[in-house]
Amino acid sequence: MLITQLKSKETIEALAQGKTVIINCHGCKEVYFAEHEADELQKDLNGVTQIITTDYICNPDNLKLQLQKHTDVINAADTILVFSCGVGVQTVAAQFESKKVYSCCDTYPLPGFQGVTPLNVDCGQCGECYLNGTGGICPITACSKSLLNGQCGGAKEGMCEVDKEMECGWERIYRKLEKLNKLDNMKYDAPKVRNYHNPNAEEPII
Amino acid sequence: MEDYTKFKLKRKEELDAVLAGKDNLFVIACNKCFKELDSFDEPECGLFEEIAKEQGKNIVGSARIDFLCNEPLTAKSFQGLIPQETENVFVISCGLGIQTMAAMAEIPVYAASDSVIVDGYHGMALTTTLCEACGQCYLNMTGGICPVVDCSKSLLNGQCGGAKNGKCEVDKEMDCGWQLIYERLEKQGRLQELLDKPVELRDYSKVNHKFISEYVKSVREERFEGYYGGIHPTEFKELSEHIAVVPFPDPVNVVIPMSQHAGAPAEPIVKVGDQVKMGQKIAQAAGFISSAIHASVSGTVVAVEPRLHPISGLDSLAIVIQSDGKNTLDESVKPAGDLDKLSADEIIEIVREKGVVGMGGAGFPTAVKLKSPKPIELVLLNGCECEPILTADHQVLLAYADEVIYGLKAMMKASGAPKGVIAIEDNKLDAVELLQAKTADIENIEIVVAKTKYPQGAEKMLIKRVMGKQVPSGGLPMDVGAIVCNVSTAKAVSDAIQLGMPLVERVVTVSGNRMNKPGNYLVKIGTSVKDIVNHCGDVKGDDVTVKIGGPMMGFAQANLNVPMLKCSNGIIAVETIVKEAVECIKCGRCADVCPMELRPLYFTKYALSEDWEGMKTQNTMDCIECGCCEYICSSKIPIVERIKIGKTAIREGK
Repeated sequence: MLITQLKSKETIEALAQGKTVIINCHGCKEVYFAEHEADELQKDLNGVTQIITTDYICNPDNLKLQLQKHTDVINAADTILVFSCGVGVQTVAAQFESKKVYSCCDTYPLPGFQGVTPLNVDCGQCGECYLNGTGGICPITACSKSLLNGQCGGAKEGMCEVDKEMECGWERIYRKLEKLNKLDNMKYDAPKVRNYHNPNAEEPII
Repeated sequence: MEDYTKFKLKRKEELDAVLAGKDNLFVIACNKCFKELDSFDEPECGLFEEIAKEQGKNIVGSARIDFLCNEPLTAKSFQGLIPQETENVFVISCGLGIQTMAAMAEIPVYAASDSVIVDGYHGMALTTTLCEACGQCYLNMTGGICPVVDCSKSLLNGQCGGAKNGKCEVDKEMDCGWQLIYERLEKQGRLQELLDKPVELRDYSKVNHKFISEYVKSVREERFEGYYGGIHPTEFKELSEHIAVVPFPDPVNVVIPMSQHAGAPAEPIVKVGDQVKMGQKIAQAAGFISSAIHASVSGTVVAVEPRLHPISGLDSLAIVIQSDGKNTLDESVKPAGDLDKLSADEIIEIVREKGVVGMGGAGFPTAVKLKSPKPIELVLLNGCECEPILTADHQVLLAYADEVIYGLKAMMKASGAPKGVIAIEDNKLDAVELLQAKTADIENIEIVVAKTKYPQGAEKMLIKRVMGKQVPSGGLPMDVGAIVCNVSTAKAVSDAIQLGMPLVERVVTVSGNRMNKPGNYLVKIGTSVKDIVNHCGDVKGDDVTVKIGGPMMGFAQANLNVPMLKCSNGIIAVETIVKEAVECIKCGRCADVCPMELRPLYFTKYALSEDWEGMKTQNTMDCIECGCCEYICSSKIPIVERIKIGKTAIREGK
């Protein structure tokens, strides 16, 4: 799941050269797309011959279908400006290999990778889930140092020393285990070493 | 299609160790996302259960839940799911699902699976093109090929020199990303640009977690604002929101269908050749849930015959009146007197007699709503107008504020409700200010400003937002003590009492970015859509769809020779949407946006396999057909159409 942020106005103005076609992707608008800011910015650009607003341009078949009726104006254009995540820009660039296709957004990851509902929890996809010993709170993402064997000792009043607005993940784990009457978990577990060699995604067991 | 497996079962040895000393297990598996929806029955629980049974463990039960990480929906499925004797919960899911579950359950939750990294991030359509979401898009200098993803070393300043015959030295099956970039730029004549570009340094701090987490917080708040789900389509209200209502020129002929309301069609009480006056009753209600219909012009009845109906798309009985251009009023059109002196039953009788029905779309007879068998605590006037493009209700609020308030008072009196609320979205602040000023000294009427979100105007959403109450599945607003009416309906109630004028005209928005001259008009019921479109300068272009109603729930018209009805709030001309449905990829967006908290993805399958039992299990009948799921569907599936198939089948008793 991705979110996008507009590049600066100057950057985008410099990219719009000659006859320009703009493609806006609203597919992930409910997650994040700065629709109004993009609209305002596009009004002031020079040489724009067409603004196309569609969705899910990351799907090449859909992109082709949506652009069909604009074929002539796209063929006549010098530049295509794409307002979408990096996937969308690359799909457009692959479809118009001989055209200058520019990206007008920067793309950021969004915690959680299902649907639109943004989550409070994050998963580092580390490939060896540690949640069993930690009462279901992830030490990789809830501890700013991703420690696996307990707190670093730097927390003050339950807040992390790296980010003072973040709760100490290990303190949260402790409290949760205390509540579950499972504090023994922490006592007897052998020290864990993170295995950075992830299981191969291509051979799932299930 | 690629199957993005996000988790796999832990190794047996590891599971054995975790299982040691734990018994009475409940197993929850996530139904997975981002995979083709080919079966509802995945074997995930089975393998784990076998391992547990080998160890002699007692499994008290298991469940599969869709989109386990979708907290609100999972919480609903989770209620009462786990039997009392359960001691430990094992979850087969990615880390998000396990953490969501662990936060919800009172007993220990364990992971039976590991999350597997998906190479880079992908778009909704599961393309193989990857984006690493680095926060500093480099595609502008590389011809749209990503150096971060397509170069195995993520080099930003050109090739490493190790490639052989165009293949990467790290992975011999991978093309050298920088060679691809070179070739693409050569094709575009941009090589010099590449040589001239300054040295790039990747700024790893750009993916700022504070920015992202703040952002996520704000999006979460917006998503759950007032009620679960919903969407924010582009409004396009600026096309007509500042254009005041003007009367539409009198039509020569009006075609008045007998079916303009929920329930039985009305029965004509005039015949061809009869002279009728404006406001005269020309058809009577045919049952309790039905409505009378009145002449919107004075003139001669020239036909009583089936004519094309804009909603059903079929021919249905209509009375055609040729106007004499005089609009002579019928004798029955006279004020009913002071509201204070009218009893509740008298008001309901006037509303029934004057043919007032819900003008927001469904056309439910207002008198039936007002005569509620259950006690009513609130009359909720819906001035949200959450559909994009439409501005008719907005104009009604501005032009007829006094009538709307009068109508609300009348409905409160008729239903015995002690309180009235007018809900208006925050994109109509001028109407909010006006109504607030006008109701400032009315103690029991409140103006509620709601943050804009579609489908706010759906009665169940509005009740949740304003009253914080949930209408039970299959229930009606009166079950929670509410009556919801459109603001135009309130104005019609006011006209019926204050003027004695039946519902023979209404405010209509004519707009859309393909309509030449948008506007808001006071239109006589039965006026031809074609005449209205012509009057507004016709439509632009040839790829245009004309709809009666809004873009989300309106009815597309192939033939414009149809009349405007009591419940037709707009005529819009928009660009025709071309789409081709592909397989559902379980992206979960439909479940994210469904304000009724359903899982629309199931309906797409069940309609095709005619699985009506499945439709019932997934509560199809609760669907309000708002179209959010179809709007957001990344596979472009006509979900609403398939839901309607299911609803029809269930209604037919299948």
